[in-house]
Amino acid sequence: MGASLPPKEANLFKLIVKSYETKQYKKGLKAADAILKKFPDHGETLSMKGLTLNCMDRKQEAYELVRLGLKNDLKSHVCWHVYGLLYRSDREYREAIKCYRNALRIDPDNIEILRDLSLLQAQMRDLAGFVETRQQLLTLKPNHRMNWIGFAVSHHLNSNASKAIDILEAYEGTLEDDYPPESERCEHGEMLLYKISLLEECGLLEKALKELRKREFKIVDKLSYKEEEVSLLVKLNSFEEGEKLYRVLLTMNPDNYQYYEGLQKCVGLPSKTGQYSSDEIDNLDALYKSLAEQYTWSSAVKRIPLDFLDGGKFRDAADNYIRPLLTKGVPSLFSDLSPLYDHPGKANILEKLVLGLEDSLKKTGGYPEKSEKEPPSTLMWTLFYLAQHYDRRGQYDVALAKIEEAIQHTPTVIDLYSVKSKILKHAGDFASAASLADEARGMDLADRYVNSQCVKRMLQADQVSLAEKTAVLFTKDGDQHNNLHDMQCMWYELASGESYFRQNDLGRALKKYLAVEKHYADITEDQFDFHSYCLRKMTLRAYIQMLRFQDRLHAHAYFRKAAAGAIRCYIKLYDSPPTSSTEEDDELAKMPASQKKKLRQKQRKAEARAKKEAEVKNEEANAGGASKYGKRNVKAVDPDPHGEKLLQVEDPLMEAGKYLKLLQKHSPDHLETHLLSFEVNIRKQKILLALQALKHLVQLDAENPDTHRCLIRFFHKVASRPVPTSDTEKLISGVVEAERPTFSQLQGKSLMEANTIFLEQHKDSLMHRASVAEMMYCLEPNKKAEAITLIQDSPNNPVSSNKSLGSVKQWKLKDCVAVHKILISTFDDQNAALRWKKRCGEEFPYSTYFEGSLCSTQTKTSKAENGGIQNGKVEKLEGGMKNLAI
Amino acid sequence: MSDSHSHSRSKSISLPPRLSSSHEHHRKFKMVCIRKATMDDLFAMQACNLFCLPENYQMKYYFYHILSWPQLLHVAEDYGGKIVGYVLAKMEEETTECHGHITSLAVLRTHRKLGLATKLMTASQNAMEQVFGAEYVSLHVRKSNRAAFHLYTETLGYKIHDIEAKYYADGEDAYDMRKQLKGKHQHLHHHHAGGCCSGDAKTE
Repeated sequence: MGASLPPKEANLFKLIVKSYETKQYKKGLKAADAILKKFPDHGETLSMKGLTLNCMDRKQEAYELVRLGLKNDLKSHVCWHVYGLLYRSDREYREAIKCYRNALRIDPDNIEILRDLSLLQAQMRDLAGFVETRQQLLTLKPNHRMNWIGFAVSHHLNSNASKAIDILEAYEGTLEDDYPPESERCEHGEMLLYKISLLEECGLLEKALKELRKREFKIVDKLSYKEEEVSLLVKLNSFEEGEKLYRVLLTMNPDNYQYYEGLQKCVGLPSKTGQYSSDEIDNLDALYKSLAEQYTWSSAVKRIPLDFLDGGKFRDAADNYIRPLLTKGVPSLFSDLSPLYDHPGKANILEKLVLGLEDSLKKTGGYPEKSEKEPPSTLMWTLFYLAQHYDRRGQYDVALAKIEEAIQHTPTVIDLYSVKSKILKHAGDFASAASLADEARGMDLADRYVNSQCVKRMLQADQVSLAEKTAVLFTKDGDQHNNLHDMQCMWYELASGESYFRQNDLGRALKKYLAVEKHYADITEDQFDFHSYCLRKMTLRAYIQMLRFQDRLHAHAYFRKAAAGAIRCYIKLYDSPPTSSTEEDDELAKMPASQKKKLRQKQRKAEARAKKEAEVKNEEANAGGASKYGKRNVKAVDPDPHGEKLLQVEDPLMEAGKYLKLLQKHSPDHLETHLLSFEVNIRKQKILLALQALKHLVQLDAENPDTHRCLIRFFHKVASRPVPTSDTEKLISGVVEAERPTFSQLQGKSLMEANTIFLEQHKDSLMHRASVAEMMYCLEPNKKAEAITLIQDSPNNPVSSNKSLGSVKQWKLKDCVAVHKILISTFDDQNAALRWKKRCGEEFPYSTYFEGSLCSTQTKTSKAENGGIQNGKVEKLEGGMKNLAI
Repeated sequence: MSDSHSHSRSKSISLPPRLSSSHEHHRKFKMVCIRKATMDDLFAMQACNLFCLPENYQMKYYFYHILSWPQLLHVAEDYGGKIVGYVLAKMEEETTECHGHITSLAVLRTHRKLGLATKLMTASQNAMEQVFGAEYVSLHVRKSNRAAFHLYTETLGYKIHDIEAKYYADGEDAYDMRKQLKGKHQHLHHHHAGGCCSGDAKTE
């Protein structure tokens, strides 16, 4: 490095490199300038100066200098390496890899560059390249532990676990017998566990078990040792040994359900979702009775039998389980038991049981057949349970009566208000739910949980700015107003985005959705530092799991919601582009072209000025010192806080496509992915891609009302296209014609017939009827009245009572809201919508949307800052998704 | 790593075979369960932290913990698979005395009175002692947080070691608390564990 320079300058050059490494950038800059004074064209110095400036947030100059340096010295590996580092700092990994490769062409054995390259290859999952680079590193420096491990890991990642085992064994062969020294016992144990997991992955189970036991004394992490051993034993069908070991593990942690599951498997009673035979139930019962004697302090052992017991035995076990928890006042009792409500009959048994307890507590102050008195709080917790029970069953009036009674009994318990808020939300009174949650929040201002709960309810009630003000009470970080974004508070961003979307504020909605998307990009980035860290730390099993986790990162629910939300925004934007309705624009329209141009220039200049000011502000802020957590710079000034610029995208569907691709890759088994794909592609006139989406939909859920809509719309659209003229169009028509018979719904039927048959199959379901009605209107617009009647005649039958849910009707509030929107948007029939609203107001008396007789907006003036739900004012574009724009 | 490739789908009209039941379908019924955290728990741990506590961390900090001391992170998981509590802990590597530190502990308000915090703390402390040979474990708690203070002193046996003035962003003081672990005195091979504290590795 700096070889071409005379000694004095060569020393200065070394100083630049050292200053860069020690982050003394000003010093480095000075040295660079000293060299450049004498040798203004010195390539490597120019490059290093650029790299230094890059760290001082002078990106543009950095790139200019680095490129100039490279131009002046194309044969320098330093210049190429620096160029790669610059790209790397901007996360342009593919470009960085190219640069490193050029550098290595000049200096093939440069360890530093090879190491940097290997990190990028791991990051980009260039696995073949990764193997190659790690091999070179090992060849160059075989005495480094890390190089052996890195080579093995690279093969493992590249789907060659057995080669990885060979490498680790070869590495072990290089170790002395008394290895490891005290200071490395932990790391070495981790390496051994990693090797054993590789053996297991290769299916070499017996060898893995043998190796594990042979190495026992070298494995420090005894819990992992036992868990690995038992996993191997079970896989080898050594159930007797497995059982013993599971019992040992249960002694260590009697609250780990995985151990119970394992134990059940070993004794021939594997847990399953279906029904057990009565013999099996008896055996399980006996097993858990004996376990309960052994692990008296375990709650799991008492709870599990409620899953498999039935009838009278279930009733008795539930009774025994519930009583002490009510006495103790465990608030999660209902949520603990709620999965039982899926079992036919169990909900009824629980209802009768707890009502019996309530009755006895009220009459005698104690439980049935007990002479001891219960503390007064037992009755309150019993009412608390019952309120949640009736909420779950959709009997909101009873639920509210019970919770009200509990509040009368003891007005100071926060949980009661939280549950009341939840019931009101389920019943459709969002404004009341929010104010109840706010009341709960006020009862303990130091508890963030009640604060968060309240923020959530406020967002559900579309009180966004009030929600933010409330959240901020906990999110101040030094000078920062709000660190929710910096701390990746995604539930909040999603809930805000959804609220803005409901209020048709697409800019702000997009802003929130894209913020979540950005977190995922950052999290992908987070792995970078760990490629070298974990090899040193030897936490190899965790490292591999992290990489696999990263590979499926975008399948996570938050990302899915954010991406779907963003795509919906872009579709809406496409369907109804933002109208420039401001006066300014009106004036603009009247102006002559030359004047318009001038004005535009002026605006552009003003924008540039504002941007620059924001940048200066940011730099000043950054210079202001590190924050307490010292990780991120002080928040940058956001040039587009309300997402107005996001609305100005040229091609919203192209933007949507970016997120759609990620959904298709990572969430292919979600209906929503393909619904969105259909909506985007049908708008883009991409017939074959829309057909592909349709095929996915039919495959995933052919009976879904949205699938039905897509099916009819698609074939209606292709039928109404003009006769194909170009070769491409002919080809497309050919494919569509060839594919049509593969849809069994359409075989030998017209679309109208298929629509009618779908109705016959699902005539009791509101959402299916709505779908059929929409399609009827779409196919034959003159049948509008008939279609609307189809919706209006929908029955709201009681849910059949042999299921656990009792006197509850079928309709869901959110479905009824959706139907109301269809009546307004698709059918554009205010009268029908009004009639629907009145009917639903009776079905859902607490609903603010339908202005039911019991909802807060009817009974009192809502406290909601912006009126809660903007009832009835659903704009036409609300139905954009379902708009029949074919 | 191979599964990163299996997702790619052909551009043709033909469809890949339908995926077998999605994860949600074979989720079994469970009670609140205390177990070691996995990678897939990290998002839920972060969400739980953000919902309950004023001190929050970016995802990278969670990665840093689980990739350094995977044995120390534990979660409480309820029936539907929801994470209702967690403990995030680390080993202090820069000091001579090897000791663990509780970075963060939270249990949802709705899941109080089940002893989850105690169970989570015990699990993490045991691993500190057993795997890393920690001599003691330390933590910080807000002076005003009586409930947490009670748990640490009465149930878990922590003692006040020091007071750190204005430790929290809002200016509140913290108790610096410590609990001695039986650790080395009981082990036959008393150097059995340890060593991990001497590591030089640090991500940032």
